[in-house]
Amino acid sequence: MGLNTLGVKIGGLSLNSPVIMMSGIFSYGEVVLDYLDYKKLGAIVTKTVSLEPRKGNPQPRVWEAPSGMLNSIGLQNPGIKAFIKKGLPAVRKNGIRIIVSVTGNSAEEISGIVNLLSAEKIDGIELNLSCPNVNRKELMAAQSPEMTWLLVKAAKKECGRIPLIAKLSPNVTDITAVAAAAEDAGADALSLINTVRGISVDVEKMRIMEGGLSGPAIKPAGLRAVYDVFRKTGVPLIGMGGIASGRDAVEYILAGASAVGVGSGFFSNPFLVDEIYRALGDFLKNNGIKKLSCASGLLNEKEKKQAGQPRRKRKV
Amino acid sequence: MEAKNLTVCRNARLAEHLYLMEFEGAFTPPALPGQFIHIKIDGLFLRRPFSVAGQKNNRLAILYKVVGKGTEILARKKGGETLNAIGPLGKSFPVIKKWKNVYLAGGGTGIAPLIFLADKLSGEDVKITFFYGAKSRGCIGFEILPAGINFVFTTEDGSYGDKGLLDRAVCGFIGKNGRPDVIYGGGPAGLLKKIGRISEDFSVPAFVSLENRMACGTGICYGCVTKIKTGSGWEYMRICKEGPVFNTKDIKWD
Repeated sequence: MGLNTLGVKIGGLSLNSPVIMMSGIFSYGEVVLDYLDYKKLGAIVTKTVSLEPRKGNPQPRVWEAPSGMLNSIGLQNPGIKAFIKKGLPAVRKNGIRIIVSVTGNSAEEISGIVNLLSAEKIDGIELNLSCPNVNRKELMAAQSPEMTWLLVKAAKKECGRIPLIAKLSPNVTDITAVAAAAEDAGADALSLINTVRGISVDVEKMRIMEGGLSGPAIKPAGLRAVYDVFRKTGVPLIGMGGIASGRDAVEYILAGASAVGVGSGFFSNPFLVDEIYRALGDFLKNNGIKKLSCASGLLNEKEKKQAGQPRRKRKV
Repeated sequence: MEAKNLTVCRNARLAEHLYLMEFEGAFTPPALPGQFIHIKIDGLFLRRPFSVAGQKNNRLAILYKVVGKGTEILARKKGGETLNAIGPLGKSFPVIKKWKNVYLAGGGTGIAPLIFLADKLSGEDVKITFFYGAKSRGCIGFEILPAGINFVFTTEDGSYGDKGLLDRAVCGFIGKNGRPDVIYGGGPAGLLKKIGRISEDFSVPAFVSLENRMACGTGICYGCVTKIKTGSGWEYMRICKEGPVFNTKDIKWD
Protein backbone atom coordinates (compact mmCIF):
# COMPACT_ATOMS: atom_id res chain seq x y z
CA MET A 1 0.00 0.00 0.00
CA GLY A 2 1.43 3.37 -0.96
CA LEU A 3 1.57 6.35 1.29
CA ASN A 4 -1.28 8.10 -0.46
CA THR A 5 -3.98 5.56 0.35
CA LEU A 6 -3.17 5.91 4.05
CA GLY A 7 -2.59 9.65 3.92
CA VAL A 8 -5.20 11.57 5.91
CA LYS A 9 -6.24 15.13 6.55
CA ILE A 10 -7.12 16.15 10.06
CA GLY A 11 -8.34 19.64 10.67
CA GLY A 12 -6.32 20.98 7.75
CA LEU A 13 -3.27 18.97 8.74
CA SER A 14 -2.08 16.55 6.05
CA LEU A 15 -0.41 13.43 7.38
CA ASN A 16 1.38 10.69 5.46
CA SER A 17 0.12 8.09 7.90
CA PRO A 18 -2.96 7.92 10.12
CA VAL A 19 -0.94 6.51 13.01
CA ILE A 20 -0.18 9.07 15.69
CA MET A 21 1.78 8.73 18.91
CA MET A 22 -0.66 10.11 21.42
CA SER A 23 0.22 12.57 24.13
CA GLY A 24 2.01 11.36 27.23
CA ILE A 25 3.56 8.23 25.87
CA PHE A 26 6.31 9.58 23.64
CA SER A 27 8.00 12.23 25.74
CA TYR A 28 8.41 15.31 23.53
CA GLY A 29 9.47 13.31 20.51
CA GLU A 30 13.17 13.80 21.22
CA VAL A 31 13.89 10.21 22.25
CA VAL A 32 15.09 8.12 19.33
CA LEU A 33 13.97 4.49 19.39
CA ASP A 34 15.99 2.31 17.05
CA TYR A 35 13.21 -0.23 16.52
CA LEU A 36 10.55 2.29 15.51
CA ASP A 37 9.91 3.00 11.83
CA TYR A 38 9.31 6.75 11.97
CA LYS A 39 8.15 6.85 8.35
CA LYS A 40 5.00 5.01 9.41
CA LEU A 41 4.15 7.63 12.00
CA GLY A 42 1.92 10.46 10.82
CA ALA A 43 2.74 12.68 13.77
CA ILE A 44 3.59 12.66 17.41
CA VAL A 45 1.76 14.52 20.13
CA THR A 46 4.10 15.76 22.85
CA LYS A 47 3.63 15.34 26.55
CA THR A 48 1.38 18.10 27.80
CA VAL A 49 3.15 21.40 28.38
CA SER A 50 1.87 24.02 30.82
CA LEU A 51 2.68 27.71 31.18
CA GLU A 52 4.82 27.14 34.28
CA PRO A 53 7.05 24.09 34.90
CA ARG A 54 5.39 21.20 36.77
CA LYS A 55 7.27 18.68 38.88
CA GLY A 56 4.66 15.99 38.38
CA ASN A 57 3.24 13.47 40.84
CA PRO A 58 5.12 11.41 43.45
CA GLN A 59 5.68 7.66 43.06
CA PRO A 60 4.07 5.32 42.30
CA ARG A 61 3.27 6.62 38.84
CA VAL A 62 2.59 3.42 36.92
CA TRP A 63 0.77 0.27 37.91
CA GLU A 64 -0.25 -2.93 36.15
CA ALA A 65 -4.03 -3.37 35.78
CA PRO A 66 -6.07 -6.18 34.24
CA SER A 67 -5.50 -5.71 30.48
CA GLY A 68 -3.95 -2.33 30.92
CA MET A 69 -2.21 0.06 33.25
CA LEU A 70 -2.87 2.97 35.53
CA ASN A 71 -0.69 6.03 35.23
CA SER A 72 -0.35 9.10 37.34
CA ILE A 73 2.47 11.16 35.87
CA GLY A 74 0.81 14.44 36.77
CA LEU A 75 1.87 16.44 33.70
CA GLN A 76 5.56 16.72 34.61
CA ASN A 77 6.98 19.24 32.13
CA PRO A 78 9.55 22.03 31.92
CA GLY A 79 7.03 24.78 31.17
CA ILE A 80 6.32 26.34 27.79
CA LYS A 81 9.33 28.68 27.65
CA ALA A 82 11.91 25.96 28.35
CA PHE A 83 10.06 23.63 25.99
CA ILE A 84 10.22 26.11 23.12
CA LYS A 85 13.88 26.85 23.79
CA LYS A 86 15.23 23.33 24.39
CA GLY A 87 12.53 20.77 23.66
CA LEU A 88 11.30 21.87 20.24
CA PRO A 89 14.70 22.11 18.51
CA ALA A 90 15.48 18.55 19.68
CA VAL A 91 12.27 17.17 18.15
CA ARG A 92 12.71 19.07 14.91
CA LYS A 93 16.00 17.24 14.45
CA ASN A 94 14.02 13.99 14.22
CA GLY A 95 12.03 15.37 11.30
CA ILE A 96 8.66 14.16 12.54
CA ARG A 97 5.40 16.07 12.45
CA ILE A 98 4.80 17.51 15.85
CA ILE A 99 1.58 18.35 17.61
CA VAL A 100 2.16 20.12 20.91
CA SER A 101 -0.17 19.19 23.75
CA VAL A 102 -0.94 22.08 26.09
CA THR A 103 -2.98 22.68 29.20
CA GLY A 104 -3.96 25.58 31.42
CA ASN A 105 -6.12 26.31 34.41
CA SER A 106 -7.91 29.27 32.84
CA ALA A 107 -8.72 30.86 29.51
CA GLU A 108 -5.96 33.42 30.17
CA GLU A 109 -3.35 30.74 30.75
CA ILE A 110 -4.41 28.87 27.61
CA SER A 111 -4.31 32.09 25.58
CA GLY A 112 -0.83 32.81 26.87
CA ILE A 113 0.62 29.42 26.10
CA VAL A 114 -1.03 29.09 22.66
CA ASN A 115 0.11 32.61 21.81
CA LEU A 116 3.72 31.65 22.53
CA LEU A 117 3.40 28.52 20.40
CA SER A 118 1.68 30.22 17.49
CA ALA A 119 4.98 31.76 16.39
CA GLU A 120 6.71 28.35 16.31
CA LYS A 121 7.05 25.92 13.47
CA ILE A 122 4.73 23.18 14.70
CA ASP A 123 2.07 21.16 12.94
CA GLY A 124 -0.74 21.27 15.45
CA ILE A 125 -1.81 22.12 18.96
CA GLU A 126 -3.75 19.68 21.11
CA LEU A 127 -5.60 21.14 24.03
CA ASN A 128 -5.56 18.66 26.90
CA LEU A 129 -8.81 19.30 28.72
CA SER A 130 -8.93 15.89 30.30
CA CYS A 131 -5.91 14.90 32.41
CA PRO A 132 -7.26 12.85 35.35
CA ASN A 133 -4.12 13.26 37.45
CA VAL A 134 -4.03 16.94 38.37
CA ASN A 135 -6.40 18.88 40.64
CA ARG A 136 -8.27 15.67 41.33
CA LYS A 137 -10.80 17.34 43.59
CA GLU A 138 -11.90 19.70 40.86
CA LEU A 139 -13.67 18.98 37.60
CA MET A 140 -11.59 18.55 34.48
CA ALA A 141 -12.42 21.14 31.83
CA ALA A 142 -13.67 18.35 29.56
CA GLN A 143 -16.28 17.42 32.17
CA SER A 144 -18.15 20.63 31.42
CA PRO A 145 -19.35 21.65 27.95
CA GLU A 146 -19.26 25.31 29.04
CA MET A 147 -15.69 25.19 30.30
CA THR A 148 -14.64 23.21 27.23
CA TRP A 149 -16.19 25.87 24.98
CA LEU A 150 -14.46 28.67 26.86
CA LEU A 151 -11.00 27.12 26.75
CA VAL A 152 -11.22 25.96 23.13
CA LYS A 153 -12.37 29.46 22.17
CA ALA A 154 -9.43 31.00 24.02
CA ALA A 155 -6.98 28.70 22.23
CA LYS A 156 -8.61 29.19 18.85
CA LYS A 157 -8.24 32.95 19.08
CA GLU A 158 -4.49 32.63 19.49
CA CYS A 159 -3.48 29.65 17.38
CA GLY A 160 -3.67 31.38 14.01
CA ARG A 161 -3.37 28.89 11.18
CA ILE A 162 -2.14 26.04 13.35
CA PRO A 163 -4.78 23.29 13.55
CA LEU A 164 -6.36 22.98 16.99
CA ILE A 165 -7.32 19.61 18.45
CA ALA A 166 -9.28 19.22 21.69
CA LYS A 167 -8.63 16.09 23.77
CA LEU A 168 -11.71 14.93 25.60
CA SER A 169 -12.41 12.73 28.57
CA PRO A 170 -14.51 9.57 28.81
CA ASN A 171 -15.25 10.45 32.46
CA VAL A 172 -18.46 12.28 31.59
CA THR A 173 -22.19 11.73 31.42
CA ASP A 174 -22.45 12.64 27.74
CA ILE A 175 -19.27 13.04 25.72
CA THR A 176 -21.21 14.16 22.65
CA ALA A 177 -22.32 17.33 24.43
CA VAL A 178 -18.72 18.19 25.26
CA ALA A 179 -17.62 17.34 21.72
CA ALA A 180 -20.31 19.57 20.26
CA ALA A 181 -19.17 22.43 22.51
CA ALA A 182 -15.55 21.98 21.40
CA GLU A 183 -16.60 21.97 17.76
CA ASP A 184 -18.76 25.03 18.23
CA ALA A 185 -15.85 26.88 19.85
CA GLY A 186 -13.69 26.20 16.82
CA ALA A 187 -11.80 22.96 17.42
CA ASP A 188 -10.52 21.63 14.09
CA ALA A 189 -10.41 18.05 15.34
CA LEU A 190 -11.03 16.01 18.48
CA SER A 191 -8.91 13.39 20.21
CA LEU A 192 -10.99 10.68 21.87
CA ILE A 193 -10.41 9.39 24.54
CA ASN A 194 -8.13 10.29 27.40
CA THR A 195 -7.69 7.70 30.17
CA VAL A 196 -10.50 6.41 32.35
CA ARG A 197 -10.19 7.33 36.02
CA GLY A 198 -9.49 4.40 38.26
CA ILE A 199 -7.69 3.08 41.29
CA SER A 200 -5.88 -0.10 42.17
CA VAL A 201 -5.72 -1.37 45.73
CA ASP A 202 -2.39 -2.55 47.09
CA VAL A 203 -3.55 -5.01 49.74
CA GLU A 204 -0.09 -5.60 51.24
CA LYS A 205 0.74 -1.95 51.71
CA MET A 206 -2.89 -0.97 52.44
CA ARG A 207 -2.85 1.92 49.99
CA ILE A 208 -4.41 2.88 46.70
CA MET A 209 -2.79 3.71 43.41
CA GLU A 210 -4.83 6.41 41.74
CA GLY A 211 -4.56 7.20 38.06
CA GLY A 212 -5.84 7.02 34.53
CA LEU A 213 -6.58 3.59 33.09
CA SER A 214 -5.30 2.83 29.60
CA GLY A 215 -4.72 -0.28 27.54
CA PRO A 216 -7.06 -2.89 26.00
CA ALA A 217 -9.35 -2.63 29.04
CA ILE A 218 -10.66 0.73 27.79
CA LYS A 219 -10.99 0.00 24.09
CA PRO A 220 -14.78 -0.51 24.20
CA ALA A 221 -15.15 2.84 25.98
CA GLY A 222 -13.03 4.58 23.36
CA LEU A 223 -14.92 3.00 20.48
CA ARG A 224 -18.22 3.99 22.05
CA ALA A 225 -17.07 7.61 22.35
CA VAL A 226 -15.81 7.78 18.75
CA TYR A 227 -18.92 6.08 17.41
CA ASP A 228 -21.26 8.47 19.24
CA VAL A 229 -19.27 11.66 18.64
CA PHE A 230 -18.95 10.89 14.93
CA ARG A 231 -22.74 11.16 14.63
CA LYS A 232 -23.00 14.31 16.63
CA THR A 233 -20.18 16.42 15.15
CA GLY A 234 -18.64 17.26 11.81
CA VAL A 235 -14.97 17.48 12.74
CA PRO A 236 -12.37 14.76 12.16
CA LEU A 237 -11.71 12.46 15.10
CA ILE A 238 -8.46 10.94 16.25
CA GLY A 239 -9.53 7.67 17.87
CA MET A 240 -7.53 6.25 20.74
CA GLY A 241 -7.86 4.13 23.82
CA GLY A 242 -6.64 0.56 24.10
CA ILE A 243 -5.33 0.08 20.58
CA ALA A 244 -3.07 -2.95 20.84
CA SER A 245 -3.28 -4.44 17.35
CA GLY A 246 -3.84 -3.52 13.74
CA ARG A 247 -7.37 -4.80 13.96
CA ASP A 248 -8.12 -2.49 16.88
CA ALA A 249 -7.13 0.44 14.67
CA VAL A 250 -9.44 -0.75 11.89
CA GLU A 251 -12.29 -0.88 14.43
CA TYR A 252 -11.66 2.75 15.43
CA ILE A 253 -11.63 3.86 11.77
CA LEU A 254 -14.91 2.06 11.07
CA ALA A 255 -16.44 3.62 14.18
CA GLY A 256 -15.61 7.09 12.92
CA ALA A 257 -11.97 7.94 13.49
CA SER A 258 -9.98 9.64 10.72
CA ALA A 259 -6.70 8.72 12.38
CA VAL A 260 -5.67 6.59 15.34
CA GLY A 261 -3.58 7.25 18.41
CA VAL A 262 -1.11 4.73 19.74
CA GLY A 263 -0.69 4.81 23.49
CA SER A 264 0.46 2.42 26.16
CA GLY A 265 0.00 -0.51 23.76
CA PHE A 266 3.32 0.61 22.29
CA PHE A 267 5.06 -0.19 25.57
CA SER A 268 3.95 -3.81 25.29
CA ASN A 269 4.47 -4.12 21.57
CA PRO A 270 7.34 -2.11 20.07
CA PHE A 271 6.16 -3.03 16.56
CA LEU A 272 2.60 -1.79 17.04
CA VAL A 273 2.98 1.17 14.67
CA ASP A 274 4.13 -1.12 11.83
CA GLU A 275 1.34 -3.58 12.56
CA ILE A 276 -1.34 -0.90 12.47
CA TYR A 277 0.05 0.63 9.29
CA ARG A 278 0.04 -2.76 7.60
CA ALA A 279 -3.39 -3.75 8.88
CA LEU A 280 -5.02 -0.52 7.69
CA GLY A 281 -3.47 -0.92 4.25
CA ASP A 282 -4.58 -4.55 4.06
CA PHE A 283 -8.08 -3.63 5.16
CA LEU A 284 -8.45 -1.08 2.36
CA LYS A 285 -7.07 -3.48 -0.19
CA ASN A 286 -9.21 -6.43 0.89
CA ASN A 287 -12.37 -4.35 0.83
CA GLY A 288 -11.65 -2.45 -2.36
CA ILE A 289 -11.66 0.91 -0.56
CA LYS A 290 -9.59 3.59 -2.29
CA LYS A 291 -8.42 5.57 0.69
CA LEU A 292 -8.69 5.56 4.42
CA SER A 293 -10.98 8.58 4.63
CA CYS A 294 -13.61 6.55 2.75
CA ALA A 295 -13.53 3.95 5.53
CA SER A 296 -13.88 6.43 8.40
CA GLY A 297 -17.21 6.00 10.11
CA LEU A 298 -18.39 3.38 7.65
CA LEU A 299 -20.41 1.71 10.41
CA ASN A 300 -22.31 4.89 11.14
CA GLU A 301 -22.87 5.65 7.50
CA LYS A 302 -24.16 2.14 6.92
CA GLU A 303 -26.67 2.56 9.69
CA LYS A 304 -27.76 5.97 8.45
CA LYS A 305 -28.18 4.68 4.96
CA GLN A 306 -30.43 1.95 6.27
CA ALA A 307 -32.44 4.62 8.07
CA GLY A 308 -32.67 6.65 4.87
CA GLN A 309 -30.58 9.59 6.18
CA PRO A 310 -28.15 11.44 3.91
CA ARG A 311 -24.39 11.14 4.43
CA ARG A 312 -23.12 14.06 6.43
CA LYS A 313 -20.28 15.98 4.87
CA ARG A 314 -17.35 16.25 7.24
CA LYS A 315 -14.76 18.94 7.42
CA VAL A 316 -11.15 18.00 6.93
CA MET B 1 18.82 -0.71 21.38
CA GLU B 2 16.88 -3.57 19.88
CA ALA B 3 13.55 -5.28 20.47
CA LYS B 4 14.01 -9.00 19.94
CA ASN B 5 13.08 -12.46 21.10
CA LEU B 6 15.50 -14.13 23.48
CA THR B 7 15.48 -17.89 23.96
CA VAL B 8 15.65 -19.16 27.51
CA CYS B 9 18.51 -21.60 27.85
CA ARG B 10 18.65 -21.85 31.62
CA ASN B 11 16.24 -20.90 34.38
CA ALA B 12 17.50 -21.95 37.80
CA ARG B 13 16.88 -21.22 41.45
CA LEU B 14 20.34 -20.31 42.77
CA ALA B 15 19.39 -19.58 46.34
CA GLU B 16 16.47 -18.49 48.45
CA HIS B 17 14.82 -15.52 46.66
CA LEU B 18 17.39 -15.65 43.88
CA TYR B 19 16.84 -16.99 40.38
CA LEU B 20 19.10 -16.89 37.35
CA MET B 21 17.78 -16.78 33.80
CA GLU B 22 20.16 -17.18 30.91
CA PHE B 23 19.21 -16.41 27.34
CA GLU B 24 20.58 -17.36 24.00
CA GLY B 25 20.62 -14.21 21.89
CA ALA B 26 22.34 -11.11 23.14
CA PHE B 27 21.94 -7.48 22.11
CA THR B 28 23.76 -5.27 19.67
CA PRO B 29 25.39 -3.12 20.85
CA PRO B 30 26.27 -5.38 23.78
CA ALA B 31 24.87 -4.52 27.20
CA LEU B 32 27.19 -2.78 29.65
CA PRO B 33 27.20 -3.26 33.44
CA GLY B 34 24.36 -1.20 34.91
CA GLN B 35 22.15 -1.38 31.83
CA PHE B 36 18.88 -3.28 31.86
CA ILE B 37 16.50 -5.12 29.55
CA HIS B 38 12.73 -4.73 29.48
CA ILE B 39 10.96 -8.07 29.22
CA LYS B 40 7.45 -8.82 27.97
CA ILE B 41 5.80 -11.50 30.06
CA ASP B 42 2.79 -13.28 28.59
CA GLY B 43 -0.51 -12.31 30.16
CA LEU B 44 0.79 -9.04 31.58
CA PHE B 45 0.46 -5.63 30.00
CA LEU B 46 3.53 -3.86 31.28
CA ARG B 47 7.03 -5.11 30.63
CA ARG B 48 9.32 -5.80 33.57
CA PRO B 49 12.84 -4.35 33.80
CA PHE B 50 15.82 -6.52 34.79
CA SER B 51 19.41 -5.47 35.24
CA VAL B 52 21.80 -7.42 33.04
CA ALA B 53 24.01 -9.76 35.09
CA GLY B 54 26.28 -10.61 32.18
CA GLN B 55 26.54 -10.70 28.40
CA LYS B 56 29.16 -12.85 26.79
CA ASN B 57 29.35 -14.36 23.34
CA ASN B 58 25.72 -14.89 22.42
CA ARG B 59 24.47 -15.26 25.97
CA LEU B 60 22.81 -12.85 28.34
CA ALA B 61 21.87 -13.36 31.99
CA ILE B 62 19.51 -11.71 34.48
CA LEU B 63 18.79 -12.33 38.15
CA TYR B 64 15.35 -12.14 39.68
CA LYS B 65 13.40 -12.76 42.82
CA VAL B 66 9.80 -14.01 42.77
CA VAL B 67 7.84 -11.07 44.12
CA GLY B 68 4.61 -11.03 42.11
CA LYS B 69 2.72 -12.29 39.08
CA GLY B 70 5.40 -11.40 36.55
CA THR B 71 8.28 -13.11 38.27
CA GLU B 72 6.05 -16.09 39.13
CA ILE B 73 5.49 -16.57 35.42
CA LEU B 74 9.22 -16.13 34.76
CA ALA B 75 10.07 -18.81 37.31
CA ARG B 76 7.96 -21.32 35.35
CA LYS B 77 9.72 -20.66 32.02
CA LYS B 78 11.45 -23.66 30.49
CA GLY B 79 14.50 -23.88 28.26
CA GLY B 80 13.61 -23.22 24.62
CA GLU B 81 10.78 -20.80 25.39
CA THR B 82 11.22 -17.26 24.12
CA LEU B 83 10.65 -13.88 25.70
CA ASN B 84 10.58 -10.55 23.89
CA ALA B 85 12.96 -8.01 25.32
CA ILE B 86 13.99 -4.45 24.59
CA GLY B 87 17.58 -3.59 25.37
CA PRO B 88 20.14 -2.67 26.32
CA LEU B 89 18.60 0.32 28.09
CA GLY B 90 19.73 3.06 30.44
CA LYS B 91 23.15 4.31 31.47
CA SER B 92 25.92 2.00 32.64
CA PHE B 93 28.31 2.41 35.57
CA PRO B 94 30.99 4.98 34.77
CA VAL B 95 34.44 3.40 34.73
CA ILE B 96 37.58 5.53 34.86
CA LYS B 97 41.04 4.09 34.22
CA LYS B 98 42.62 5.78 37.22
CA TRP B 99 40.22 4.05 39.61
CA LYS B 100 42.44 1.14 40.64
CA ASN B 101 40.91 0.26 44.01
CA VAL B 102 37.23 -0.47 43.57
CA TYR B 103 34.51 -1.49 46.03
CA LEU B 104 31.31 -3.17 44.94
CA ALA B 105 28.53 -3.40 47.50
CA GLY B 106 25.18 -5.03 47.00
CA GLY B 107 22.53 -7.43 48.13
CA GLY B 108 19.64 -9.45 46.74
CA THR B 109 19.07 -9.19 42.99
CA GLY B 110 20.91 -5.85 43.22
CA ILE B 111 24.14 -7.77 42.80
CA ALA B 112 23.30 -8.44 39.12
CA PRO B 113 24.95 -5.32 37.64
CA LEU B 114 27.81 -5.68 40.14
CA ILE B 115 28.80 -9.21 39.16
CA PHE B 116 28.67 -8.05 35.54
CA LEU B 117 30.92 -5.10 36.41
CA ALA B 118 33.26 -7.27 38.48
CA ASP B 119 33.59 -9.65 35.56
CA LYS B 120 34.43 -6.78 33.18
CA LEU B 121 36.94 -5.21 35.55
CA SER B 122 38.63 -8.44 36.59
CA GLY B 123 40.71 -8.56 33.42
CA GLU B 124 42.00 -5.04 34.08
CA ASP B 125 44.65 -3.85 36.50
CA VAL B 126 42.06 -3.14 39.20
CA LYS B 127 41.81 -4.31 42.79
CA ILE B 128 38.21 -5.34 43.42
CA THR B 129 36.57 -5.89 46.80
CA PHE B 130 33.02 -7.16 46.61
CA PHE B 131 30.78 -6.68 49.66
CA TYR B 132 27.85 -9.05 49.48
CA GLY B 133 25.03 -8.73 52.01
CA ALA B 134 22.27 -11.30 52.51
CA LYS B 135 19.65 -12.35 55.06
CA SER B 136 21.33 -15.69 55.58
CA ARG B 137 23.70 -18.19 53.98
CA GLY B 138 20.83 -19.76 52.01
CA CYS B 139 20.20 -16.50 50.17
CA ILE B 140 23.67 -16.17 48.66
CA GLY B 141 24.07 -17.07 44.99
CA PHE B 142 27.53 -18.61 45.29
CA GLU B 143 27.48 -20.10 41.82
CA ILE B 144 27.49 -16.81 39.95
CA LEU B 145 30.21 -15.05 41.90
CA PRO B 146 33.19 -14.30 39.67
CA ALA B 147 36.45 -15.98 40.61
CA GLY B 148 39.62 -14.20 41.64
CA ILE B 149 37.89 -11.43 43.53
CA ASN B 150 38.07 -10.60 47.22
CA PHE B 151 34.60 -11.10 48.74
CA VAL B 152 33.38 -9.79 52.08
CA PHE B 153 30.13 -11.41 53.13
CA THR B 154 27.67 -10.23 55.73
CA THR B 155 24.49 -11.99 56.80
CA GLU B 156 21.78 -10.62 59.05
CA ASP B 157 21.69 -13.86 61.09
CA GLY B 158 25.44 -14.42 61.05
CA SER B 159 25.12 -17.75 59.24
CA TYR B 160 27.84 -16.74 56.79
CA GLY B 161 30.54 -14.07 56.93
CA ASP B 162 30.14 -11.24 59.39
CA LYS B 163 26.90 -10.85 61.28
CA GLY B 164 25.23 -7.54 60.58
CA LEU B 165 24.50 -5.12 57.82
CA LEU B 166 26.59 -4.50 54.76
CA ASP B 167 27.28 -0.79 55.25
CA ARG B 168 28.94 -1.48 58.60
CA ALA B 169 31.26 -3.96 56.93
CA VAL B 170 32.18 -1.42 54.25
CA CYS B 171 32.91 1.25 56.86
CA GLY B 172 34.98 -1.18 58.93
CA PHE B 173 36.96 -2.25 55.88
CA ILE B 174 37.71 1.35 54.93
CA GLY B 175 38.82 1.96 58.52
CA LYS B 176 41.35 -0.87 58.25
CA ASN B 177 42.40 -0.68 54.62
CA GLY B 178 41.90 2.92 53.61
CA ARG B 179 39.57 4.52 51.11
CA PRO B 180 38.82 3.00 47.72
CA ASP B 181 38.79 5.14 44.57
CA VAL B 182 35.10 4.44 43.95
CA ILE B 183 32.16 2.48 45.33
CA TYR B 184 29.53 0.88 43.09
CA GLY B 185 26.27 -0.25 44.64
CA GLY B 186 23.10 -2.18 43.87
CA GLY B 187 20.22 -3.49 45.95
CA PRO B 188 17.49 -2.23 48.27
CA ALA B 189 17.04 1.56 48.53
CA GLY B 190 17.96 1.49 52.22
CA LEU B 191 21.39 0.04 51.41
CA LEU B 192 21.99 2.44 48.53
CA LYS B 193 21.16 5.37 50.76
CA LYS B 194 23.75 4.14 53.24
CA ILE B 195 26.32 3.83 50.46
CA GLY B 196 25.56 7.48 49.70
CA ARG B 197 26.32 8.32 53.33
CA ILE B 198 29.62 6.41 53.19
CA SER B 199 30.51 8.27 49.99
CA GLU B 200 29.93 11.55 51.78
CA ASP B 201 31.68 10.59 55.03
CA PHE B 202 34.82 9.30 53.32
CA SER B 203 34.78 11.59 50.26
CA VAL B 204 34.71 8.68 47.85
CA PRO B 205 32.62 8.85 44.66
CA ALA B 206 29.79 6.30 44.65
CA PHE B 207 27.47 5.15 41.88
CA VAL B 208 24.38 3.08 42.53
CA SER B 209 21.82 1.36 40.35
CA LEU B 210 18.24 2.34 41.23
CA GLU B 211 15.13 0.25 40.63
CA ASN B 212 11.49 1.10 40.08
CA ARG B 213 8.32 0.03 38.37
CA MET B 214 8.54 1.01 34.72
CA ALA B 215 6.12 1.33 31.84
CA CYS B 216 8.10 2.30 28.72
CA GLY B 217 11.67 1.62 29.90
CA THR B 218 12.94 3.94 27.18
CA GLY B 219 12.45 7.47 28.54
CA ILE B 220 9.17 8.33 26.88
CA CYS B 221 6.59 7.97 29.67
CA TYR B 222 8.19 9.43 32.84
CA GLY B 223 6.68 6.69 35.00
CA CYS B 224 9.83 5.58 36.84
CA VAL B 225 11.20 8.92 37.99
CA THR B 226 13.18 9.62 41.15
CA LYS B 227 14.23 12.88 42.82
CA ILE B 228 17.57 14.17 41.56
CA LYS B 229 19.21 17.31 42.92
CA THR B 230 19.60 20.25 40.57
CA GLY B 231 21.13 23.67 41.01
CA SER B 232 17.92 25.14 42.30
CA GLY B 233 16.49 22.20 44.24
CA TRP B 234 15.42 18.90 42.71
CA GLU B 235 13.66 17.46 39.71
CA TYR B 236 12.08 14.13 38.93
CA MET B 237 14.40 12.32 36.52
CA ARG B 238 13.85 9.07 34.69
CA ILE B 239 15.50 6.00 36.19
CA CYS B 240 15.25 4.32 32.77
CA LYS B 241 16.90 7.15 30.85
CA GLU B 242 19.08 9.40 33.03
CA GLY B 243 19.71 6.27 35.18
CA PRO B 244 19.42 3.58 36.39
CA VAL B 245 22.95 4.38 37.55
CA PHE B 246 23.22 7.65 39.47
CA ASN B 247 25.97 9.35 41.42
CA THR B 248 24.83 9.12 45.05
CA LYS B 249 25.61 12.79 45.61
CA ASP B 250 22.87 13.68 43.09
CA ILE B 251 20.12 11.53 44.59
CA LYS B 252 17.62 13.22 46.86
CA TRP B 253 16.33 10.42 49.11
CA ASP B 254 12.82 10.60 50.53
